[in-house]
Formats: sequence, C-alpha cells, structure tokens
Amino acid sequence: MKYESQRVAWWFFATCMLLLSLQLIYGFIMGFAHAGYDNLHAIIPFHAARATHTNLLVMWLLCGFMGAAYYIIPEESESELYSPKLALVQLGALVVTGVTAIIGFHFNWWEGRKFLEIPRPLDFLVVIDVLAFIFNIGMTVKNGRRFTTTSLVLFFGLFAAALLYLPGMIPTVNQTSDSYWRWWVVHLWVEGVWELIMGGILSFLLIKLTGVDREVIEKWLYVIVGLTFLSGILGTGHHYYYIGTPRYWKWIGGLFSALEPLAFLGMAIYAVTMARKGGRNHPNRNALLWTVGCSIMSFVGAGFLGFAHTIPQVNLYTHGTLITAMHGHLAFWGAYAMIVLAIITYALPNLTGRRRHDAPSAQIAFWTSNIGMVAMTAAFAVAGITQVYLERRVGMDFIVVQREIQVHFVGLILAASLFTFGIGAFIWNFIKYGRPVGEVLPAGASDETPEEAITAGHAEGIA
Amino acid sequence: MLSKKAARAFFLVGTAVCSLAMVGLTIDSFRRIPAQTHAERITPAVARGKDLWDHNNCMGCHTLLGEGAYYAPELTRVYRRRGPEFIRAMLRDPAAMYPGQRQMQNYHFNPGQIDDLVAFLQWIDGMDLNGFPPEPTLNQVALPSGAIAPSDDRPQVFNQLCVACHALGGRGGAVGPALDHVGDRLNADYLTRWLHDPQAVKPGTLMPRLPLTEPQIRELVAFLSQLRTEVRP
Ligand code: HEM
Ligand code: HEM
Ligand SMILES: [Fe+2]
Repeated sequence: MKYESQRVAWWFFATCMLLLSLQLIYGFIMGFAHAGYDNLHAIIPFHAARATHTNLLVMWLLCGFMGAAYYIIPEESESELYSPKLALVQLGALVVTGVTAIIGFHFNWWEGRKFLEIPRPLDFLVVIDVLAFIFNIGMTVKNGRRFTTTSLVLFFGLFAAALLYLPGMIPTVNQTSDSYWRWWVVHLWVEGVWELIMGGILSFLLIKLTGVDREVIEKWLYVIVGLTFLSGILGTGHHYYYIGTPRYWKWIGGLFSALEPLAFLGMAIYAVTMARKGGRNHPNRNALLWTVGCSIMSFVGAGFLGFAHTIPQVNLYTHGTLITAMHGHLAFWGAYAMIVLAIITYALPNLTGRRRHDAPSAQIAFWTSNIGMVAMTAAFAVAGITQVYLERRVGMDFIVVQREIQVHFVGLILAASLFTFGIGAFIWNFIKYGRPVGEVLPAGASDETPEEAITAGHAEGIA
Repeated sequence: MLSKKAARAFFLVGTAVCSLAMVGLTIDSFRRIPAQTHAERITPAVARGKDLWDHNNCMGCHTLLGEGAYYAPELTRVYRRRGPEFIRAMLRDPAAMYPGQRQMQNYHFNPGQIDDLVAFLQWIDGMDLNGFPPEPTLNQVALPSGAIAPSDDRPQVFNQLCVACHALGGRGGAVGPALDHVGDRLNADYLTRWLHDPQAVKPGTLMPRLPLTEPQIRELVAFLSQLRTEVRP
C-alpha cells in the first residue's frame, strides 16, 4: 500500500463479502422453490427472493468496483484520495439505501422491472450517492500527479455507469418503451461500460502482477474497450427482437451482438499473453490465478454462452427461458464477480500487511467456487434446453414442463453447495487477513517484494 | 505495429460512430413503437393495469414479452390462451385454480383492479412482436397421429379453461385427470351437475367451480360426451 487513504477500500471489500453471502442464501431459496420445495412461499415468495438475489448481486459488484477504484486511483494518480471520509459516508449511505430497498422487497415495495426493482425514491438516493463517489475519485484524478490510461478507463467506465442509470428512470406508459429504456441500463452496463471497469481493473492487475511494460498493456486495453463499444452499443438490439420494437433490430442486434464475444476473447488472450510474457514472479500467485481465471471465464460465460442464444432465429425459442439464467450466472460470475474477487485477492496482503499468499484456503476457494459455478451452469443448461424443446418446440404446458425439469434443480442445489463452499473459503481467508492495518510504504518502494521489484522495476512507472 | 495513439483513435472513433447510430435508431424506434404496439388502445384501464403489474412485481415470477423470471408461465398471449374469465378466476383465488401446484400469491385485488389487469393483458396480446412467441414446430411429430379432437374442433372455452388442468390427446395440464375417453366413464347428466359445482358432487375435490354460463356448460357436456373410445370400422 502506497497511500494511507487506500485503506478505505477494505471497508468496501468487507461489505462485498457480507452482501455476497446474503445473495447466496436467496439463491438457495429460489433453487429449492424450483425443485418443488417452496415452503418459504408465505414469508419470502419467489419474486421477493429473486429481486433480493439480483439486487444484492448488483450492489456487491458496485461496492467492489468502488473499492477497487479507491484502491487503484490513488496509486495510479500518485496522490492521496480527495476525501477518505466522504468515501466512508458514501459507503454507509449506499448500504443503508440498499438494505432499505431489500427490506422493502419483502413488503411488496418495489417496481416490477427486472434488475431495476429498487423503488423510485431510492433511485434518487443511489444517483446522489454514486455522484459523491464519482466526485471523490474525479477530484483525486484531477489533483493527481499522473494521468494513466488505466485510471482514465476506470474513471470513464464508472462515470458512464452512473450516467446510464438515468434512462431507467424515464417514465413511460407503454410496456415496450419501458423495456426499451430498461435495456439502456442493464445491457449497456454489463455489455458496455462495466467492461471498461473490468478492463481498467484487469490492466492494473496485469501491470502489477506480471511486470509487463505499461505502454504495451494500456495499448491493448484501448483495443479491447474499442471492440467492446463497437459491438456492444448496437448489440443492445439483441433485446429488441421480440418486445414490440421494429423488425430491423433483428439484423442490427444480431450482427453486432454476434461480434461481442470478440471483446471477451480479446480480454482472455490479453491476460494469458501478459501473464506468460511477464518477467515478474509475483508472490501473490492467487491474485494472478483469479485475474487470468476471470478473463477466461468471462469469455466462456459472456462470450461463448452469450453467442449461443444471441442469433435471432435461436433467441426466438430461448428468449425468456432458463437458458437465459444459465448464461446470466456464468457471465456475471466470470466477468464481474471474479474481477472483484481478483482485486480483493491482490489488495488484501497490502491493505492488512499480512502475507498469507499461499494459504491453502485461498486456492481451495478459487477451484471449488469455479468448479461449482460451472456445474451450476450445466444444471441450468440441461433444465433450459429441456424447457425450450418441450415447451417451445413441442408445445407442452408450462407447468407440466416445470415438473419434468424439477430434478435438474436438485442438481443445481448440489452444485451451488460446492460453489458456496468455495465462497465460504474465500470469506474465511478474508477474515483471517484481519483489519486494514498494513503499513504505508515509503516513497519509491513497491508492494511487489524487493527482489522482484528490482528485476521488474524498469518496466514500471512509465506514464 | 499498432501504436497506442492509433489504438486510442480506434476506440474513440468506433465509440462515437456507434453511439450516434444508436441514438438515431432509438429516435426512429420511438417513432414506430406506437403503431406496432397499438398504443392507441392504451386506455386508462390498461395504464392502471400496467401500474398494478409493476407495483406487485409480477415480472418477479412470470415473463411478459419474454422478459422476467422463469418460475411462472409466459403471459404475453395469456389473454388468447385462457380468455378473460379464466384470468379473472385466477386472480380472485390462485390456489383454487391450481390446487397443490407451485403457488401464486393471492393479492386480494378488488373487481375493478382485476378488470384493469385483464385490460392490460388484452392490450399486450394485440402487440406485433415480430413472431414471438413461436408456434411449436415439433407439435405434429410428437403427437400420435390422428389424435382425438384437434384443437380447432373443440369448444373455445374448453381450450381456454379446461386444458389449464386437464390433458386431452397428450396436451394440457396435469392437475386433474386426462379427459381422453371421458365419455366412456361419465354420462351427460353427471357431467352437467359436475360442471355446475364440482364440490356438490364430490366434496373435497380439487376442481374449482368455474365461471361458466349455461350455454357454455351445454356445449362442454356435448363435447365431453362424444370423447369415447373410437370404434373403428
Ligand atoms: C459480462 C457480460 C454479460 C453479462 C453479465 C450478461 C448477463 C445477462 C443477463 C443477466 C441476462 C438476462 C437479462 C434479462 O432477461 O433481464 C442476459 C441476457 C442476454 N444476453 Fe447477456 N450478459 C453478458 C454478455 C453477453 C454477450 C457478450 C452476449 C452475446 C454474445 C449476450 C447475449 C445475451 C442475450 C441474447 C440475452 C437475452 C436472452 C433472452 O432473450 O432471454 N450477453 N445477459
Ligand atoms: C448459491 C448459489 C446460487 C443459486 C442456488 C442461484 C439460483 C438462482 C435461481 C434459482 C435464479 C432464478 C431463476 C428464475 O428466474 O427462475 C437465479 C437468478 C439469477 N442469479 Fe443466481 N444463484 C446462485 C448464485 C448466483 C451468483 C454467484 C450469481 C452471480 C455471479 C448469480 C446471478 C444471478 C442472476 C444474474 C440471476 C438472474 C438471471 C436471469 O434473469 O436470467 N446467482 N439464481
Ligand atoms: Fe445484452
């Protein structure tokens, strides 16, 4: 850790751990309901569990991005954070808003708009809160001594994410217009600006972990985010095939969204190449594991499984089935959950001053959570393919088909248990690291251990 | 090799061009959406129905236009599939309509609210969705050839209400028994009494009293009575 104020990141990361655990509990509630055990229905009906599950996901990812920014931006800009106090206030406010929303969900207080269920009055609080965050890191970048592409891409991604929250608040009467704007938020987040945030964090981690020349890493970062926007913006059209929007979206959405996997493929090749090329033998092997793992799993979940149902002729049959849930899980996991866990794994030893790089629990966490998530994806896939064939192709009744596929949700629950074990190990490790009491390094020193800092030193610091 | 400057230019130009195209297409889409979705049919009742749909997060279990959760049936064409009476009965008491099945909450809507939701679903049903939901193309392959009473020979009320729980020719719900050859087992008099009030005939049965008119009951009884084992010449 080079700057005192980077410490605030720990509080964001700790919040992530808490919200992630809660998210999984609600996942199990839904898994059991699908498997035929909806015993909690009277207290936590399915839609309450679902809104809670997905909103907690978005909330902990946003917390993770903010924590990442508070850790990365001071180091990249070579200055203390503009206001660590504002950061903590802003975290507190975000948590209070989020918890209020989630309690509200259990009392039928929400907007029935998938992923954007937070009631309107709370939307405004979220916007104000995110603006405070943007202001804080914006001032840090502005007052900083160094502008790097990594920090610019990260900042621009976060700024655009805040801006894109607004179309979701446009009032509409027509269901189609309502959905139209909803996708400006949901799609342009996950297949647009969030990829910038991911790219920024990835590039920071690769610079630190591999020691490859910053110029090279940041050049390819531009190419990747260029590909993201080239395909992802008009790729929004893959949500406009069948919701009452003009027919031309089938062509435009199909063509551009089919190119979206390129950005993820680029990300995977980028991370793997840099990791190979890097001369640095960084002691935090687990951080590199999560970093490279993230780039590969995001390609599988978002790129490959996204492509699997993005062609209009296929989407006609898979639209709104469990196939979507299959893709949603691995995409969110591979791209965004894993990048947050990667930066946490990298930052923890520096924040806490404890060098637990090789703790066995850390390795177990990586492998069991990933194998568990792949198995969950497979369970959703089998259920989804069966649903598509029986319901959409053969024309059987929805509920009859659901009974046929119940058994696959038992499989889902087993896979989710393995996954949860892995997350448990991660959180255990997080707790063992303890509080953020690591010492601030003197000027010129690096978090990368001295010997390696010498061999790789020439590669760093070129702005 | 590609320089960093060129890479940045690629990013900036690509993003600018695509964003402009997106804005242009959005403006054009909003010009066309009203016609394609029959916005002129959005009455105050439809608007109130959408509000109810939103404020109770129906999308948290169902899909509509293929968007939502995957726990409860797709409702885009439910107005056509089940008809207004079934939807009303369902909203009045979901547990009675699907006994012992995956549960839906009872929202205790008043009759006005139920009418608003029906109006909303009727409006959705009329939208042009570029071919969604698709016709089940493997339908013919999967059914035994010459299955009894193809859908268009049946009373409309049978296709809307009864198949929600009962199967015929391998298609329909599985809450109640299949109705193939029901004419062999039950006579017209029994069927008439049954349809008027299942509870009176067999206390404790799971079948609810359905919102049927007298002519509909007569039509159904006639139809059910002729569902007999075919005597092949
Ligand atoms: C990390 C990036 C991504 C994430 C987190 C993600 C997540 C999701 C989620 C949660 C949904 C469900 C949305 C809803 O129904 O409300 C969805 C839908 C969809 N995604 Fe992705 N996705 C990603 C990338 C991609 C990519 C790259 C493609 C295409 C190549 C793609 C293709 C699709 C399609 C076609 C749908 C619509 C499914 C339907 O019609 O029901 N996604 N995605
Ligand atoms: C204990 C582990 C988990 C279980 C059992 C679980 C189960 C489920 C279930 C049953 C659904 C609802 C599908 C429906 O609408 O019928 C769901 C939705 C969803 N979950 Fe999970 N989940 C788990 C963990 C996760 C994780 C770790 C993530 C993200 C990284 C995630 C992301 C999502 C998303 C994005 C949706 C919405 C999908 C869509 O609408 O297409 N879940 N989950
Ligand atoms: Fe998308």
